[in-house]
Amino acid sequence: MDLTRAKIRDLRCALDEKKISAAELCGEYLKRIEEQDKKLLSYITVTKEKALFDAEKAQKLIDSGKSLPLTGIPLAVKDNICIDGVKTTCASKMLENFVPPYNATVIEKLNAEGYVLLGKASMDEFAMGGSTQTSAFAKTKNPYDTERVPGGSSGGSAAAVAASLAPAALGSDTGGSIRQPASFCGVTGIKPTYGRTSRYGLVAFASSLDQIGPIANDAHDCAIILNAICGHDRHDATSSKTAVPDFTEKLGLPVKGMKIALPKEFYSDAIDGDVKQSVLQAAKELEKQGAILTECSMPGLKYAIPAYYLIACAEAASNLSRFDGIKYGFRGEGRTYGELIVDSRNKGFGEEVKRRILLGNYALSSGYYDAYYKKALALKQEIIKEYNEIFDACDVILTPTAPTPAYKIGAQDNDPVKMYTADICTVTVNIAGLPGISTTCGYTENGLPIGMSVIGKRFDEQTVLQCADAFEQVFSPAAPKL
Amino acid sequence: MAVDMKTIEHLCGLSKLSYDEKGMEKVMGEMGDIIDLMDEIKDFDLEYDDTKDGNEIRFSDTRQDVAEGSFAPEKLLANAENTDGCYVVPKVVE
Amino acid sequence: MSAFYPTMGLEIHAELLTKSKVFCTCSAEFGGTPNSRCCPVCSGMPGTLPVLNQKAVEYIIKAGYVMNCDISRFTKWDRKNYFYPDLPKAYQISQMPRPVCLSGNVKINVNGEEKVIRINRIHLEEDAGKLVHDDVNRISLADYNRCGIPLIEIVTEPDFHSSDEVIAFMEKVKLLLQYAGICDCKMEQGSIRCDVNISIAPKGSSELGTRTELKNLNSLKAISKAIEIEIERQQEVIESGEKVIQETRRFNEAAGETLAMRSKEDAHDYRYFPDPDIPPIIFTEEELEEIRNSIPELPEQRVERYVNSLGLKKADADIIVGDKRVCDFFDEASAAYDNPKAIANYIVGELTRRINLGEADMDALKFTGAEFARLVELLQTDKVSQSNAKIILGELIENGGSPDKIADAQDLWIKEDSDLLAKVVDEIIANNPKPVEQYKNGDQKVFGFFMGQANKALKGAASTKAIQDYLRKKLSE
Repeated sequence: MDLTRAKIRDLRCALDEKKISAAELCGEYLKRIEEQDKKLLSYITVTKEKALFDAEKAQKLIDSGKSLPLTGIPLAVKDNICIDGVKTTCASKMLENFVPPYNATVIEKLNAEGYVLLGKASMDEFAMGGSTQTSAFAKTKNPYDTERVPGGSSGGSAAAVAASLAPAALGSDTGGSIRQPASFCGVTGIKPTYGRTSRYGLVAFASSLDQIGPIANDAHDCAIILNAICGHDRHDATSSKTAVPDFTEKLGLPVKGMKIALPKEFYSDAIDGDVKQSVLQAAKELEKQGAILTECSMPGLKYAIPAYYLIACAEAASNLSRFDGIKYGFRGEGRTYGELIVDSRNKGFGEEVKRRILLGNYALSSGYYDAYYKKALALKQEIIKEYNEIFDACDVILTPTAPTPAYKIGAQDNDPVKMYTADICTVTVNIAGLPGISTTCGYTENGLPIGMSVIGKRFDEQTVLQCADAFEQVFSPAAPKL
Repeated sequence: MAVDMKTIEHLCGLSKLSYDEKGMEKVMGEMGDIIDLMDEIKDFDLEYDDTKDGNEIRFSDTRQDVAEGSFAPEKLLANAENTDGCYVVPKVVE
Repeated sequence: MSAFYPTMGLEIHAELLTKSKVFCTCSAEFGGTPNSRCCPVCSGMPGTLPVLNQKAVEYIIKAGYVMNCDISRFTKWDRKNYFYPDLPKAYQISQMPRPVCLSGNVKINVNGEEKVIRINRIHLEEDAGKLVHDDVNRISLADYNRCGIPLIEIVTEPDFHSSDEVIAFMEKVKLLLQYAGICDCKMEQGSIRCDVNISIAPKGSSELGTRTELKNLNSLKAISKAIEIEIERQQEVIESGEKVIQETRRFNEAAGETLAMRSKEDAHDYRYFPDPDIPPIIFTEEELEEIRNSIPELPEQRVERYVNSLGLKKADADIIVGDKRVCDFFDEASAAYDNPKAIANYIVGELTRRINLGEADMDALKFTGAEFARLVELLQTDKVSQSNAKIILGELIENGGSPDKIADAQDLWIKEDSDLLAKVVDEIIANNPKPVEQYKNGDQKVFGFFMGQANKALKGAASTKAIQDYLRKKLSE
C-alpha cells in the first residue's frame, strides 16, 4: 500500500475493508521510520513493541465490526504528552529517563478509540523554540530540505507527517508550535480554542496559552482527530464545557458569503514577499469561490511579541521550577539541597530554556512585575478586544503562518531576539485563545512550502476547518522527495 | 543595556541556575537584548483589570469533595532516589 | 515594670475537614504511611493540573462568616514561588490580591474584659509535605501525604498586646472553627498552627518596632512561652544598643529560646502571579446565603440557648460549650433523657472532674451519651444512690457497658427494702445513745452523722430520701 501522504479516512477504509491489517499498517510505518528517520530525526522514541501490541488490540475491534474513526490508525505523539509507561522527555536532558505513571487525557481518549502509538516525536526542549534545534536528542530536519529546520516546537510531529512517517500526529501549540512547523513542512495543523482539549498530561510550558492539537495531511484529517480528543475533562479546570460538535460537519460546504478579514499589520514589510504573495493568492482563490474579503486592522500586534514572551516565560519559570532533581528527572550533585537543585538545573536544562526561565523571573520579580507582567496581561485584554471587534464584522481571519518559509539550520543560533520576533504571526491567536489552522498555500521557487493561517472565533473550529478545506480542495500539495 | 551583573545574579538565585564567568558574560548580553525587546511594551499605556478576563467559573462548577484512591507509592517514586517510601533530599537545615 | 510595650499579629493556619485534598482527589486524612496518600497531582508530576475542591471553598466562606468577614464575590488563586523540598511543585497555590474573605473581627474576653480583634483577611491555600531528617546519613526524607491538604490562613491585624490576649483569641478561634465544623483544631497534630509576628516599642510611642515572626508553636503553652521569651529577647537587644532584625525565628521549646531560621533566607521574593490553571470563581448571592444558612449553631448561641431554653446555669453552659466534644456529648445525652439540667450537673460535677484528673479522655470515651444519660436518670429516679452512681461511672470510664447491667452485676440498686432499712437504722440508733441525746436537744448537725453511718451500712440499698424519712421518724420518737 502506498502510504505517501495517506489520509486517515483512506486508511480507515483499507482497514475496515480488510485490505490491510492494523499490524501490517503499523509495520509499514515502522519500516518507513526505520529507513527514513535517520535522515530526519523526527522521532525521539519509536515504540515498536507497544505499536504492534496496540495494533493487535485494534484488529480485534475491527474484526468485530466495532471500529471507531481512529481504531488501528497509527499516530505519532509529541514528546511532551505523558503516556503511562512510555518515556516522555520533552526533548530535554532533564527528563531523559522520565517515565510517567499516568496517561494524558488526550491519550486516554485516543486509547478509547483504539489508536496505535508509533512513537514520541521530537520537539524544541520543553516546547521552547520554533526550529526543533533545541531538542537535546533529535534535532529534526525539514523533509523538503534537510539543511533547513522543520519549524517548531512540534517539528518532529510535522516532519513525520510530511515524510509519511505517520499519517498524523499530536502536537502542542503555545505560540504557534503546531501551525508554524505545519507550515514549514507543508502539512496542516490546527490549534483548537483554548479549553477545547484537556491539557492534563501535557507537560506545561505556558499554562494559559498551551493547547494540544493535531497535525495531519489535511483539514479533514485534523477534524477527525479533533473529534476524538476534544471535550471537557474533570482533571483540567480550564477545559471548557462548551458542547463538542462534529468537526467534519461543515467540511465541503461552499464558502460563498463567508467573510474573510485580512488584518493589514500581518502583511507588513516584516513578511517575506514570497509568503505575502502566496497567501494573498490563496485569498483570491477563496474569493473566487464566493468568499468576501475585507481589510481590517490590529494595532495591538506591535506589542504582541513582548506581551507573549512575558506571559509565556513568567508561567514557564514557575512551571519549570518543579524540576529540581529530587522527584524525577536529571539529578545533579550537591551536598546540600540548594547545591543539588542548581547543579541538576544547570546540567539538565539547555540554554534557551534557561534564558526563558530568567526572563520569566525577571518579569515576575518584585519591582518589575507591574512594568512587565501586569502590562502584558493588559495587552492580552487589548488583543482580545481587537479580535472581538474584527470578528464583529467577519467570520474568519486570514494571515501568513510565519514571516518566512523554513530557514537554514543555524540561521537563528545565538540570536534569541530574531527567534522571538519570528513568532509574530502566530502568538496573538494563543493570547486570545482562538482556534487557528495552518495549511499549505504554495511553494517557493526552491520548493519550500508556504503556510497560511485561518483564525476563527472562539469555539468555531468548524468554520476554520471549512475554510481551510475549501482551499485544500483546489490546491495540489507536493510531497517531499527524500 | 538595562541589565547588569547584579540583576542577572539575582535572577539566577530566583531561578536556581548559575553560570561560570564566560557564560555569565554571554547571558548578560543576550538578556540585555531580550529585555530591550520586552521594553517595547512600556509604550502601551492601558491598565490591567483582573475582573475583566472573562475566564471565571461558577462556584457550582468546582469539583465535588469525593476522595478517590491514591497511587501506589512505588509507582510515584519510580523516577526518584528513594528510601523507606520517601524521596531522598540532601539534609535540610531549618 | 518594663518600659516597652509589645504588639503582635497572628497568622493562623487551619486544615479543613474535607474528605479529599484541595486540588486532587487523594484522601485528606491525617497521617498514613509515607507517600501513600499521593497521586501525580499532589506529588507535582509534570503535566498534572489542580482542580479546586468545592467543599474547601464552602468551608473558607463559613470561616469568613463566623469571623464576621466580607466575602468577595470574585476570588482567584495565585502561585507563591519558592524552592523547598516539602513543596513538590516549587510553588504553593495560595491567594494574594483576591482572597475569599476580607476585614472581619472576633470578640474575645480577657480577664473579664471584652476586646475586639480585627481580621485582615482569610485565604485558601494548600499545605506542604513533611520532612524527616536523618542526621546519621545527612539526608532528609520527604513525605507528601500532607501536600494539598486544604488550609485556610487567617491573618489578624496587629491588635494583640499580651500573650493572654493571644491565647484567648486562639481559644475562641478554635471553638468557632470547631463549631462551624470546618477544622478539628488539634494543635498537637498540627491541624491548627499559629505564627506570631511580634515587635516591641517604647511605651507611649506611636510607631511599631521591627517585627520578628515566631514559628513552630505547637501548643497554647508554647505560644505563650515563646511570646514571653521573644519579648524579653527583643528588650535585651534594644537595651544593649542593637537593633532587632526582621527575620523568622523558630521556637525551641526544650531549650526555651527562639532561634533565627536559615532556610527561608532567599525566599523573600515569592513572585506571586495568578495561577493560570485555576479559573477565578464568582459567587451568587444565593450561593453565599445558602452557605451562611448551613453554618451550625455557634458557641455563643449555644450558651444562650442552654441558659434560656434548657435552664442551665451560665457557668455550667460555659464549661460545656467550651469544649465541642463535651458539648456534643451533652446534646447526645439530653436527647436520650430529657433532663438537661441534671445531665449538665453530672457532666460538670463528675465527668469533667474525672477528665481533669486524667481518668477519662473525651477523645476515647468507652460509653455513649445515651448510656451516660441513663446513669443520670437512674440517679434522678432514686434507682441508684449518689455513691453507687459514682461507682457505675467509674466502671463506664474503665470498661464501658450499660449502667443497668453494671448495677445488676455489682448489686448497686436501691432495694426499697423497709425491713432492711429499719433493721440497720434501728441498730445505729441503739449503738449511739449520745448523738441521739444531742439531736433530741436540738443539735441538727448530728443528723448528718446518722446519714453517713446509714449510707455506709446500707451500701446504696436504700434511697437517701427513704433513709432521711425513717431516721427523722425514729429520732423524734
